[in-house]
Amino acid sequence: MLAFSNNSLANYLFWVSRKKWLIITFFLSIGLFYLPTPEGLSSEGHRTLIIVVTTLILIVSESIPLPAVAILILIMEVTLGVDSPDGVAASFMSDAVFFIMGSLMLAVSIVHQGLDKRLALAIINITGNKTINITFGFVTVSALMSSFIGEHTVAAMMLPVVLALIKNAGLDTSKATKLSTLLLFSIAYGCALGSIGTPSGGGRNVIMIGYLSEFGLGDISYLEWMKYTYPMLLIEIPIAVTVLWLTFTPKQKSLDTAIRKLKVNVAKSGKLSGKQLMAILVFILVFLGWVFLSPFIGLGIVALAGVFFYLTFGLIEWPDIARRTNWGVILLFGSAISLGIQMKETGAALYVAENALYSLQYIFKDIEIVRWFFSVVLSAILTNLLSNAATVAVLGPIVLDMGGNPIILGIATSVASAFAYLTIVASPTCMIIHSTGLVSSNDYFKAGWKLFIISIILLFLVSFFYWPILL
Amino acid sequence: MKILIAVSSKKYSADTLSVGMKVVKAFNASTTIVDVGEKINQFSMKEVDMVQERMDSWDIDRPGVDVLEWAFEYLAEKELIKTNTIEAGFPKNTLVETEGGRSEVFLEGTFSENLNLILRNGDIVEELKNEVQNHGYDVTIIGGSGKRRMSHDLTQYINSSIFVVNNYKPNQNYRLLLAVDNSVGTKKAVKYGVRIAQALDIEVDIITVSKTDEFKDDYNKAADWASKFLRRTNINHKKIFLNGNPSELISREAGDNHIIVMGSSNRNPLKTFFQGNKPLKVLENSQCPILIVK
Repeated sequence: MLAFSNNSLANYLFWVSRKKWLIITFFLSIGLFYLPTPEGLSSEGHRTLIIVVTTLILIVSESIPLPAVAILILIMEVTLGVDSPDGVAASFMSDAVFFIMGSLMLAVSIVHQGLDKRLALAIINITGNKTINITFGFVTVSALMSSFIGEHTVAAMMLPVVLALIKNAGLDTSKATKLSTLLLFSIAYGCALGSIGTPSGGGRNVIMIGYLSEFGLGDISYLEWMKYTYPMLLIEIPIAVTVLWLTFTPKQKSLDTAIRKLKVNVAKSGKLSGKQLMAILVFILVFLGWVFLSPFIGLGIVALAGVFFYLTFGLIEWPDIARRTNWGVILLFGSAISLGIQMKETGAALYVAENALYSLQYIFKDIEIVRWFFSVVLSAILTNLLSNAATVAVLGPIVLDMGGNPIILGIATSVASAFAYLTIVASPTCMIIHSTGLVSSNDYFKAGWKLFIISIILLFLVSFFYWPILL
Repeated sequence: MKILIAVSSKKYSADTLSVGMKVVKAFNASTTIVDVGEKINQFSMKEVDMVQERMDSWDIDRPGVDVLEWAFEYLAEKELIKTNTIEAGFPKNTLVETEGGRSEVFLEGTFSENLNLILRNGDIVEELKNEVQNHGYDVTIIGGSGKRRMSHDLTQYINSSIFVVNNYKPNQNYRLLLAVDNSVGTKKAVKYGVRIAQALDIEVDIITVSKTDEFKDDYNKAADWASKFLRRTNINHKKIFLNGNPSELISREAGDNHIIVMGSSNRNPLKTFFQGNKPLKVLENSQCPILIVK
């Protein structure tokens, strides 16, 4: 009996040791609840900020599953009296959530078609055998494709190509070399910098467009977004290639044998099948829908229409989508957007924005620079700690309440959240290349800090000298 | 008897596997060799799964398969698996997911029928704890790794005896340091110690440490019982009696040329959580392999 109770107690203590951040967060939120509401902030705003703090700690610490964090946000919004159950439910679902759900399901459907071998052949036919050209090809293709179909889809398709190339080069696919690091980062950074290009490049872009529209600050179409961000994307491609090449210069300057073997391997898979052709056609239709129909029916509905066609034409089975879609992430982004809307409505966003501006004015005299600095630097740092969509969902309402031009600040915040170069957890793409066991956390910093700083400078120049021309 | 050996790579786990398999032979035990891969961030879990499925279609091994392949080659070289299994090569195609995030491949061992290699992913302490809890191992063998916190947590929370192959030097002439006292775990520790001393063909030092200047009767009795047990099994040994702080003296006496074997503490888990216990303190201070018998 004693042994049993000691065992239970040990198990309970193990739970406590693993959930210490949950326990700390619990007591911290109670402490914050009993603090007097700061001057200039409504009591609903005060409680909303408690939910924000709780959420951020729980996401970063990963002490409970993400879906549990999502559900907790909704429970706290209602029980702390921030909004009514119907109000919370209404703010939970939006076109941005439809888009995130649709794009994750589209990713599964596209990756399922096995188009990666075709893609590999297309890339190496263009780049040839030289390693520098192959690196340039990987960064460019990853960037251009991820700007339309999202970074995780592209990373999932490109990673096997890179690993096959490493294997064919006669290297051990379980042992890190400069060549493997270079090629893997060319996918990760290519996907990250590409995701700024269009609204469909990342859920965060759609979240920002949704906020701008919901708060009555402006409507941005698919093509308008591209006009703002695509030039920066194109400039960043050669910069990223140069930074990566100088940081991880490999011994192998040419990959003759590897390319030859890869071509043989790909040739075995035969011609493009009817299903693959149909899958490409459906995606082209989705893309055209985003460009021409989204102003009327929304980006999310277009993405869901794509999923509808993939399912109806038998290009993928529902169990495959159900098994591979990250439903927890969809729930979390829905809750984070709901929290963002509550921040706006309760005045919590305005309170944080005003206080941030007031504090930063001691550093920068120009208020425009203060606003920009706050939005961009905070977004870029937070995205490396939690997730880019969650960052924009929480930060968006604050940024848009700071005054100045909301379009410039909104897009700058969204673009900065793509600078996920520094950590493994910064984006699914970073995690995907880390999961190979070939890149360490130090590698992210080696090249990442250079690209991070260059990207911020470039974004500054674009925000202050190019975007105002478009307004 | 079921033994779990946790390995991570050829570079860091060669000694753990080598010592682990000697222990396995000593106990003629069913064995599982496990590699726990890195924890995947929750935002990216499904995407990583999807990528790994694509890797299969390119005939590229998933991370961790190389570690299992290396373990297979080690077992083949030492002839610990049957000839027909060796000739067939590492059966990575039979690596099947048996439960969420746990893939397993079965081999035919020469000394034990049950020999399997498994892959898990996640927080190493949680994964090993779950593996032990769900599959009932008697001993878990891990490397020293330099991550003291991990060994500490495993020793504290895992529900099996634990052997930490800390700072093992293959060319060192080891002796076994058998710590005995009046605790209920001592007899089991002595039995385990004897089997290991026989397997490694090493001599034993029986150490008894009293916190006070005097030795209680039951301390002397425990040392005598251990000595009698060793004599019966023809193992050369000597007895050491010391006074002072047990954890410090056991670690000091062990130096880097002993393998420590001691029973686990009966201390209440709550007290252990806040204040630690004797085996945990020995583990923290020692520079040599240590087996804590539960």
